[in-house]
Amino acid sequence: MNKFFITAHNCVTAADACGARLGTRFGRMDLSSQLALLAVESFAPHFESTPRDRVAIVLAARAGSLPTDVNFWEGRNAAGGLSPTIFTYTLPSAGIGEIAIRHRLTGPNLCFVGDSRDVLVEAKDFLRRNEADACVCVFVDVASPAFRKMIGCTEAAKATAALLQRNGPGLPANEFNLLSV
Amino acid sequence: MREPQVAIAGCGAICATGNGTETLLTALKNNTSCLCPNERFTRLRFQSNTVGTAPIDATGDDPAYKLASIALREAISRLCNRQSSIPPDRIGLILSTTKANIEALERLSDGRPCSAAASRHLQADMLAADLASEFGALGPVQNISNACVSGLVALMQGAKLIQRGAADAIFVVGADHLSGFVMGGFTALKAIDPQGCRPFDQDRRGLSPGEAGAAIVLVRRDLAPQSSITISGWGSSNDANHMTGPSRDGAGLAQAIHAAMSAARLQPEQIDYVNAHGTGTPYNDAMESTALRTIFGQTTPPISGIKGMIGHTLGAAGVIETIACVLAMQGKFLPGTTRLNNVAEGFPANLVKEPRTATRIDHILKLNTGFGGVNGALILSHE
Repeated sequence: MNKFFITAHNCVTAADACGARLGTRFGRMDLSSQLALLAVESFAPHFESTPRDRVAIVLAARAGSLPTDVNFWEGRNAAGGLSPTIFTYTLPSAGIGEIAIRHRLTGPNLCFVGDSRDVLVEAKDFLRRNEADACVCVFVDVASPAFRKMIGCTEAAKATAALLQRNGPGLPANEFNLLSV
Repeated sequence: MREPQVAIAGCGAICATGNGTETLLTALKNNTSCLCPNERFTRLRFQSNTVGTAPIDATGDDPAYKLASIALREAISRLCNRQSSIPPDRIGLILSTTKANIEALERLSDGRPCSAAASRHLQADMLAADLASEFGALGPVQNISNACVSGLVALMQGAKLIQRGAADAIFVVGADHLSGFVMGGFTALKAIDPQGCRPFDQDRRGLSPGEAGAAIVLVRRDLAPQSSITISGWGSSNDANHMTGPSRDGAGLAQAIHAAMSAARLQPEQIDYVNAHGTGTPYNDAMESTALRTIFGQTTPPISGIKGMIGHTLGAAGVIETIACVLAMQGKFLPGTTRLNNVAEGFPANLVKEPRTATRIDHILKLNTGFGGVNGALILSHE
């Protein structure tokens, strides 16, 4: 049986995103993409030892892009009309694109809407099938004020991330849960 | 141990050509463009109202579910007795969508009536769960939202789940519907061709949105002795370059194609036909041409794209365009590139304008690319 390791992990909240500046475009991103990017930032040194085309990214977004969808659609009555910038982020996979651009990761991508249960399973499968040598795993849980009001939710936004690799040192992947970060 | 092969056992589709794969086949053979003005989208608010409209009740509040269920019902109806008797807990479902039932957001925002089910289906995972429940798929359920590559990634996921023994059959369903939300977004990006999309044409100016439901039933090869079409390879990649524009050098797409051909153990000269993403936007078509030259050199296989026929159906695109490839393989013909008049300078000379008979069509390469820099390549093989 293949053994894989979690060689890095991190958790960030909306408060971390408030003061953060990762590149010139950070302020234009939606909160979900900002959190995904921030959660992965500390993994950068690990990418130096792996070919960038061999690093996969698997992301799950609990609410998909709905918080951003609500923000985008609210612009329909605004003076400037709908925002092309916000439209870019009305895809649950936008965070994957931002992570890929910042770290120049050109490996395979996979994006789910909903809970995090499939993220590590599919990340391991990328490595088992030799489609990648490392996999960035991200779970984003965001609800904007307008979206929280719509669904009656009060949870704070956060993102958790883990880096799955073939070799340690690190936590054995089968003992790891993204929700426990 | 060698992993089992994965075969295509049934297909279903509803799109601008009509309800049913027969309508898609007829349009493919006749190279009919089904893009036409839709009065729901006034030209005052949008760049164009020339779109690919599917024949569903436009006043309904749950079009995504309707499109998905119509297509899946047809695909299941094509299964043989042996496949129909696969235990429900060995059947999974993967939904591919970019915006799920975004109609509900528009209704809730405007204070218009919206049923509880339609509201639930704003969430792709809820839509997938309800489809799985209605169609008796008690195995693994996933939903994929990888921009316009979602459909191909869903097919890759379906094949993986079967190969690793998580299921014996997977219903792969793609669905996205036309909405003011999507029309408004592409208008804001100035990405719509006012005259209707013209993939690979020298005068191309953008895409034409479309809507579709598309379903493919994947099964373990030994459960489909009558089926001769398998998914033999796939690859995905990211340009890591730009959120909405493709990289000019096509390196990301070429990487995905290379991975797919390696997995299928095929050489470039063994690919008989390429079904392109072909949105009709200036940069996408140019990038795709560059990537194909990287892989195939100056002698590319025949290439065409069908978005001039049905529009860009977003999360459904990879599934319905793969169905077009299945129909082409079964009927031994090459689909044309609808609405292509004059091939742009420097593009592959082997672009197929009009459908024609194929003497050999054993391996098809299907491509899609999407926002966020994602690329997908899938290979269908005929035994």
